[in-house]
Amino acid sequence: MTTGVLMYCFDTPKFNYHKLAERSVAQIRKYLKLEITIVTNLETFKKFKPMGMINYKLVENKTTNTRAYRGRNVPWYNKERALAYEHSPYDTTILMDCDYFVFSPTLLELANTQFDMMLHDRVHDLTVEDTIEGRYESTLPLVWATVTLFRKNTNTKAIFDMIKHVQENYPYYRNLYRIIYNSYRNDFAFAIALHQLNLGTFIPTPMAMLADKVDVIDNDDDGIVFKYNGRVNLTSGQDVHVMDKEWCNG
Amino acid sequence: MDIGNIKKHSDLNFEVAKAKKNALEKLRSRQLMAYNERLFQADANTINLVSTLKQHSKDFYVLDVNDNPCHVENPEDFLQKLIERNQETLNSYQQLHHDLANKGK
Repeated sequence: MTTGVLMYCFDTPKFNYHKLAERSVAQIRKYLKLEITIVTNLETFKKFKPMGMINYKLVENKTTNTRAYRGRNVPWYNKERALAYEHSPYDTTILMDCDYFVFSPTLLELANTQFDMMLHDRVHDLTVEDTIEGRYESTLPLVWATVTLFRKNTNTKAIFDMIKHVQENYPYYRNLYRIIYNSYRNDFAFAIALHQLNLGTFIPTPMAMLADKVDVIDNDDDGIVFKYNGRVNLTSGQDVHVMDKEWCNG
Repeated sequence: MDIGNIKKHSDLNFEVAKAKKNALEKLRSRQLMAYNERLFQADANTINLVSTLKQHSKDFYVLDVNDNPCHVENPEDFLQKLIERNQETLNSYQQLHHDLANKGK
């Protein structure tokens, strides 16, 4: 049985996602010590610095989606994630956003348990202002696809097939579940698929997050220093999803 | 005490409360523990349950955090692992708590 990390990374005209991925890879190596596969396009692949043993899978990604970020509308290349079942070479996969940073071995504990698919259904805003709760955004319980563990079997194949179907028919499902956003978002596609199939297990503790209003001002192998509302704080020893996309640019 | 000092005091307490909340979330996350392919929280409830059942039977079943049954065949080993993880996380929290307590002095 193989276990590894699968990551999707496509630079956009606005953000250098490959720099986030490089940082994330270093953290995975330190705390999880698992094999890593990065799905990317040729343009982004050329920008990666040498990182040792990494499996790359090159694809031509869709470029039709956008998202709101700090008051702007920016390109968002997130549709390939629906193909994670086919792209993953592992029996047990930790599918992870490249802006998720591992500072503990917690994901290894989760990977050593029985599940079909496991992901977060709650978040913890590290500014303690609950700015990312996601209430009243749709009529279905939201899940976070940021970090998703799955095992290859008939159940997860059905989930990913359903996610692809939701993506292809997103306007219909968006209407059905009264989702307030126009943009295609994996969190909703995963939530819809799990809801339709009545599958999925939730990680019992919430995902620590830093919203896009929070600036990351420093980091090392153990944690991240961030600034919000003029106050500086730090998190260490805790995995964290960072929504500031520019902090790795230096 | 003037209003400036009260504001300073209030800001400090707010920061301490935030730090404590974050530290407790971290503690709960680090208490997640895999055992026999099931997931457990190494908290006081689980420790008490396992400790109590251990006194009555050589092996038993318990529910994990996702309500899946787990056959515990070696209660001593399980209890030791739970206590180790629990104390490891509480030790980190205690250090932070100590630092925070000194902040206001």
